[in-house]
Amino acid sequence: MSRVAEHFRRGGVFVWASGAVLAFCLAMILGLVGFIASKGLGYFWPSPLVQIQTPEGPVLGELTGHEAALGGEPARIQVRVGNRDLYGQDFRWIPSDGLGAPERPLDAVLVERLEYGAFIGRVAFLDHQGQRAASGAEALRQATLHLPEAARLRRHIQSIEKDQIGELNHRMEKLRLARRKADQGGDAAAAAALDAQTAALQARYDTLQASLEKAREDARAWTVGLETVEGQIKEVPLGGIVRLLSPNALDGPGRLAVYLSRLWEFIADDPRESNTEGGIFPAIFGTVMMVMVMSVLVVPLGVVTALYLREYARQGWLVRAVRVAVNNLAGVPSIVFGVFGLGFFVYSLGGTIDQLFFSDSLPTPTYGTGGILWASLTLALLTVPVVVVATEEALGAVPRSQREASLAMGATKWQTLWNVVLPSATPGILTGLILAIARGAGEVAPLMLTGVVKLAPAMPLDGTFPFFHLDRKFMHLGFHIYDVGFQSPNSEAAKPMVFMASFLLLLVVVILNLFALNLRRKLRERLGGSTF
Amino acid sequence: MASTPPNQTRAQRMDRFMAFAISGGGLAIIGAVLAMLLFITKEALPLFLPPLVRPAGTASALPAGGIWLEEAGKAGVFLSAGEGVRALRLPTGAALPAPAEGPPRPWRAFTRPNAKGESLVIGADGRLSILSLAWTKPAGENDPAQWTLETRWQGDLPLRDQPRELLHFRLIEGDGLGGGQTLRVVVLLDQGLGWADAPLEATPAPLAWKPIPLEAGLTPTAAAWSADGRNLSVGTLEGQLLDLDVEAGTALASASFGEPIQSLGFALGQSSLLVGGREGGLAAYQRVRVGEAFQLQRFHAFPRLQGPVLGFMPSQRDKRFLAWTPEQAVVDHLTTERRLFSAPLEGRGLAALAPRGDLILHADAATGGLRFWTLDAPHPEVSFGLLWGKTHYEGYEKPEQVWQSTGGTDDFEPKFSLIPLVFGTLKGTLYAMLFAFPLAVLGALYTSQFATPRLRNVIKPTVEIMAALPSVVLGFLAGLVMAPLLERMAVEVLVYPFVVLLLMLALAPFWGRLSRPFRNAFGEGREVLWMVPVLLVGLWLASLAGPWVEQAVMGGSYRTWLQTAMGVTYDQRNSLVVGFAMGFAVIPIIFTISEDALSSVPRSLTSASLACGASPWQTAWRVVLPTASPGIFSATMVGLGRAIGETMIVLMATGNTPVMDWSPFNGMRTLSANIAVEIPEAPLHGTLYRVLFLAAFLLFIFTFILNTVAELVRQRLRRRYESI
Repeated sequence: MSRVAEHFRRGGVFVWASGAVLAFCLAMILGLVGFIASKGLGYFWPSPLVQIQTPEGPVLGELTGHEAALGGEPARIQVRVGNRDLYGQDFRWIPSDGLGAPERPLDAVLVERLEYGAFIGRVAFLDHQGQRAASGAEALRQATLHLPEAARLRRHIQSIEKDQIGELNHRMEKLRLARRKADQGGDAAAAAALDAQTAALQARYDTLQASLEKAREDARAWTVGLETVEGQIKEVPLGGIVRLLSPNALDGPGRLAVYLSRLWEFIADDPRESNTEGGIFPAIFGTVMMVMVMSVLVVPLGVVTALYLREYARQGWLVRAVRVAVNNLAGVPSIVFGVFGLGFFVYSLGGTIDQLFFSDSLPTPTYGTGGILWASLTLALLTVPVVVVATEEALGAVPRSQREASLAMGATKWQTLWNVVLPSATPGILTGLILAIARGAGEVAPLMLTGVVKLAPAMPLDGTFPFFHLDRKFMHLGFHIYDVGFQSPNSEAAKPMVFMASFLLLLVVVILNLFALNLRRKLRERLGGSTF
Repeated sequence: MASTPPNQTRAQRMDRFMAFAISGGGLAIIGAVLAMLLFITKEALPLFLPPLVRPAGTASALPAGGIWLEEAGKAGVFLSAGEGVRALRLPTGAALPAPAEGPPRPWRAFTRPNAKGESLVIGADGRLSILSLAWTKPAGENDPAQWTLETRWQGDLPLRDQPRELLHFRLIEGDGLGGGQTLRVVVLLDQGLGWADAPLEATPAPLAWKPIPLEAGLTPTAAAWSADGRNLSVGTLEGQLLDLDVEAGTALASASFGEPIQSLGFALGQSSLLVGGREGGLAAYQRVRVGEAFQLQRFHAFPRLQGPVLGFMPSQRDKRFLAWTPEQAVVDHLTTERRLFSAPLEGRGLAALAPRGDLILHADAATGGLRFWTLDAPHPEVSFGLLWGKTHYEGYEKPEQVWQSTGGTDDFEPKFSLIPLVFGTLKGTLYAMLFAFPLAVLGALYTSQFATPRLRNVIKPTVEIMAALPSVVLGFLAGLVMAPLLERMAVEVLVYPFVVLLLMLALAPFWGRLSRPFRNAFGEGREVLWMVPVLLVGLWLASLAGPWVEQAVMGGSYRTWLQTAMGVTYDQRNSLVVGFAMGFAVIPIIFTISEDALSSVPRSLTSASLACGASPWQTAWRVVLPTASPGIFSATMVGLGRAIGETMIVLMATGNTPVMDWSPFNGMRTLSANIAVEIPEAPLHGTLYRVLFLAAFLLFIFTFILNTVAELVRQRLRRRYESI
């Protein structure tokens, strides 16, 4: 017993307790990252379809969760039954008492549709131009066969709708503005010429519209009759089907193929069904674009400031105060930067630019509303302290002997800086940049005020002149998480998407940070010294 | 002496240029970054600027008994018994064309036009008509000469008796389909007050005045219908303010004003009754329900005027109103009780306020001379007292601190108290710090003092990664995963720390019995790893113990228990969730800075302590921790700064309701989340926009001070370590 008392007195227990606290913190971090990764990555794995006999009739779907009995509530299971258009809900909770043994029917199919989400049931028949082409198992086989063709047709329709007609609309809008100017200037000849151009465009538009009609007609040729487990029939055109699989019949490699194809769709496709399905490519693209513009802005700002503070300014209390102030900016809440961005960049600066250069299209604002340029500028301001601190540290770590050697050989101060100091400081500056990017990529609050949207009609980079549109609004991974998770009407069904988006964001941020930390550690090892 | 070679001159020129460019650029960037604060201040400042009043000239005109100003104050309609309806261009006083039809002149009596431009007129023939005025303006036309004044006359009702004075009337929209307007009018007769109502569409029947009985000894001086026309407020010479139900003939409520009442009026929204006294007293009343009965509550009092208050005119944009006496005209704001405008007058007359509240006009009763003032008060609904104190709002029983920036109707009274938001911010921060501080500091202490170097090299970067986790991801997990989980397992989660503690105490003796070589080889410095299974077992035990505790202590359901025993409701997205998620964001910050401070404590100190026979824990607790406490303080300041400004986590993990309640099971709304929620809809340079900038300013200043204090403390500590 005395040993235990001694253990307490000398505090051995407290060492253990502090160890437990730390273990808890570490477990939280790893648990969080692991949880998100498993939830996100696991979502795409095709899970088996289970048919369960309940007192109310059969239920077919994926098992997605279960809850143990709690208080007065009986134990229950959650089944994803799909068929939102027929059932109203994607998920169903069933009390797990009195259920028959689950079966895995081989002919059960999961149909990912363009509209109304997944359909879970069986393929009953396949029609071609209203004529029955096949039924039963043969229908499933043939439908799978014709699916790629239907997908090709769908992409064709999309390309007409989005790219070709979109481009025509853009040109017509330009003509309309020019026409208005001509009208105001009273230039009749110009107006007539513009009218002719408009007519030509209109003719092209009509041809495109006709071929679009034709393609749509083709897309409706094949229809699949889908049957729910209760026997309800739903006819779906083949063109409205993204993927048709019978998960219970799939083998290992087949499942892997489905998994990879879903993963690819998620990364490379546009979102559907108000962001709750499909891919998140525009969000990834928007995030990357924003971060790139921000990097281009933040490096010169940060490096010039650091060079001034460390190399040119006369060291004294004023410079020390400025240095403290700049460092402390890193601790100012990001929403404050957002407010500044909205008030200064968007309303003041953007409003002035619109007045000066885009007065034709007023009152529709061009730069006087949120856009990728303003969001990037705001984030650049937010992350400038990170770059300044890192650059100053790197400049300070360049050995005095090297500078003096350069100066002694007659080089000017600038030559020394450019040829000797900056090259040795580059890894440090790079570390700062990476940390800035990691911080910028994860920020959402300031973007919400300065230009991010839930669904951007066009990307900031595309094929129309001037290719890079700094005034456009954009989508962002972080905002996507907020929007789909919290503003979406169907957030339960969209949760896996949010997990996946979170995972991607986390991955980017963690990798960038690891990279920066590693770089910094190596630098410190090489140069020595600590920086508390 | 040879001349300098050209490339050297170029190099020197380049050097000078770059020195200039970098210094200029650096200074400009620093200036720009610091100008942020200036810009935010500049946007918030107009809230507190005093209103700008400018005399805008005089003009001469014929005397008038009623004035109705056009929306922009560019034209006015003047009513007089002899001349009927006249329109004048303002501020020149030049005549504009006006329709000549109407009851035969000279009119026996008429009321001043109300805000909608409606007036009651009794013509020379003794018949009562309703006049509706309106301007028709061609689109985009700003010149009053191009506008036309429309007058519409309705009614033409014969009267049984001629009243002494028309006091007040209302046109009440009929209920249901096809119900036309009904006129309700109250008049002063020779024998006292009388009222009548008449449907407008029907064929004119003679109006008969129904007497309104008052208590004996009361002499009515003014009367006004409530917005729905059901109740009549009456002011008396004896200083009594009465609320009557005229149809039932009963008095519902009364209040004493303290001096003879001269005039009654309404602020925008028609629910606040303005009362003016014969000796210049000025107050606002509202009807509040106390239990079953109604009370007339004096909920705003304004600075006294000189002379009897002759009348009121509300603005149609906000809650400001004009009141005047023979000696003075003032514009006050109902909510804040701020006096926006005050000007001395000479002699009796009639004053008017433009619907936008930016132009004040006074017409002398004797000469008809007009005087104008412009009033520029863009944010009258905000005052220092309103932002930080309790304010009595319309419809509230007592002064309260409320944040409610927008409402459904145009006459909504905005409520801009920042206190609930500051409270929410502090509450969220408190719960986050309660969670984060012990974990972070203990973890840092362990890492710096007990962990083996190899373990330390793993722990530190892991925690630094934690600092970089995007807050939107934390918020998402908190709101959509943790909140439902906590709702199901609140008891288990609360029991967990105790279970782990008990488990550790139970296991401690066994560890002491293990052989010292084994402990040295595997234990010291690696306690963290041993604790992982303990935590897991604790989790399992807590999941077993939770339902048992809930059953035994709380009678089966913790939510009903909270409700009945504590009187607390449980929101799914509550402060515990926020504290946990925000704590998660704050832990790495406190951890990293504390760890740096703790591990920089000079070795001479720890060695001395250990040499004197203290155990490692005693050394860590009594020597290292006190020495590094300024560093830990500084870490806490930085962590606080982060928690105060955190936006996404709070936005996603709370219900964002601005309530003031310390309960950990309720949500809150913080300054930062409030900005994120409201600024996208705030009109540019409106009051809400500026108040939100003020909130941003507060966040900026607060975090900036916290960080500066932290930095100064850290610098001092560094110097102290160097001197030891």
